[in-house]
Amino acid sequence: MRAFQAELSKLFSLPGIWLAVLIGAVAPAGISALDSIAQKEDIVAGISTRLPEAGFIGLVLGVQGVIILGVLAVSSEYLTESSESGAGHQITTSLTAVPSRIHVLLAKAGAVAVISILQCIFAILTTVSVTHLMLGEYTPSFEGSRLLGTVCYWVFTALLAFAFTVLTKNALIPLAVLLINSSLVSFSVLLSKITKLAYYLPDRAGAEMFMVMGDRIHTPFTGGLVMFGWVAVLFIIAAIVFLRRDVAA
Amino acid sequence: MRVSSGRKFTKILGAELDKLVTLPLIGFILIGSFLLNLVLAAAFTSAGQQDSAGTQSMLELGLASLRYTQAGYIILGILAACSEYSGGQIRTTLTVIPWRGLQLSAKHLALAIITVPAAFMIAASGVLYSLFRMSNTAAGIDIGTMIKTLAGAAGYLTLTALLSAAIGSLLGRTTPAVVLLLGYYFVVSPLAGELLPGYLPDTAGYSMYMHPSAGEINARTPIEGTGILMLWTLLFITAALVLYRKRDA
Repeated sequence: MRAFQAELSKLFSLPGIWLAVLIGAVAPAGISALDSIAQKEDIVAGISTRLPEAGFIGLVLGVQGVIILGVLAVSSEYLTESSESGAGHQITTSLTAVPSRIHVLLAKAGAVAVISILQCIFAILTTVSVTHLMLGEYTPSFEGSRLLGTVCYWVFTALLAFAFTVLTKNALIPLAVLLINSSLVSFSVLLSKITKLAYYLPDRAGAEMFMVMGDRIHTPFTGGLVMFGWVAVLFIIAAIVFLRRDVAA
Repeated sequence: MRVSSGRKFTKILGAELDKLVTLPLIGFILIGSFLLNLVLAAAFTSAGQQDSAGTQSMLELGLASLRYTQAGYIILGILAACSEYSGGQIRTTLTVIPWRGLQLSAKHLALAIITVPAAFMIAASGVLYSLFRMSNTAAGIDIGTMIKTLAGAAGYLTLTALLSAAIGSLLGRTTPAVVLLLGYYFVVSPLAGELLPGYLPDTAGYSMYMHPSAGEINARTPIEGTGILMLWTLLFITAALVLYRKRDA
């Protein structure tokens, strides 16, 4: 528990986290506002095919905040300090204070998960109110089960970013890959045109927890299960690597 | 020792090139984006083959993957600028080369010297791949058009790298620069689409290598696109130069 508190306090004192929190709070609402503006005429005329997606589109594309959170939580530990302050790595200090590596990893993952849940709840609140503001009486209802799916999607995404960064130790590669993949031009959308297997990629499967897509092949529950499977597998690999690796190698 | 200003610039350029090629991640990023580009070109080509209408020309299929691989060049630019700041190298650099404007210009020039051939190779490989795969279905393409388009694509990637380097040296820190640029290029710009004016760096640069479909209103010729993107790049480099000369290192 004290390790968990320590991780929380480390996370909150990272300057980059505030960027992540800001993006997480602003991006989903902004994206749904843009989408609502673009869709409004169709929705009012009653011919929109994408009405059930209104609002949720922001929540599926606005995960950049938690991606940054998950990546920074790990990469900040491995950042080399400037030579004037000893050119050390924070991870050495962290592992001196809490020698059990699995505890460090779990406490950190727990802290990331808790912050991303809070972020998601905040994002849902802003997105729902922005959508209401934009669409007025035409707003579709936001069912609780789909909102729960959204929270799961955000937490899983953050944990994927977290485990990915444990493997690479460097912020650049996971940030680039995951940020691009969370966008409209994601790799999984491209790959799904070629092979059916792409529907089992984590972001595509996970999005089916709450998005109603034309060509869905998972139910919300199995979609979540597939994404959870990815998180679990990647997390176990990351844990094994982290347990066996030389501290700051 | 007095050296002529021409000699001086050559020496600074040599030093900047040396620093750039010895960055550990540079080779990895160049090779990685080259391979990724091939994989994506393969994906786009087979997606294009399934879509039997054949609306897209071979050139466009081969270059479509650049939408993703430009990320490699964005990161390249940011790394070139921000690696100076991550440890305090900037102070060594400025002790040795006290002419700040000259030093930063030489850095951008060195970056361009590396990116031009790499960008040309990456664009050519994608086009060659789709040419190879589709040689039996599509008619041959004009060599002149191909060279013009390839030059446009290479120019686009180089200018994007320079723009990112300028923004990287404005911000001075890697992660915010990566988040800002990737967020703009991959999330904001594709999403906002028509809402944004067409003279922003990525949309203008897009017309350097993609020929607009007939129906578009604000279609630009490649020359116009090049001019606009060049203006943006020069604008940011000038801003970076001005700030760099004034700022505490």
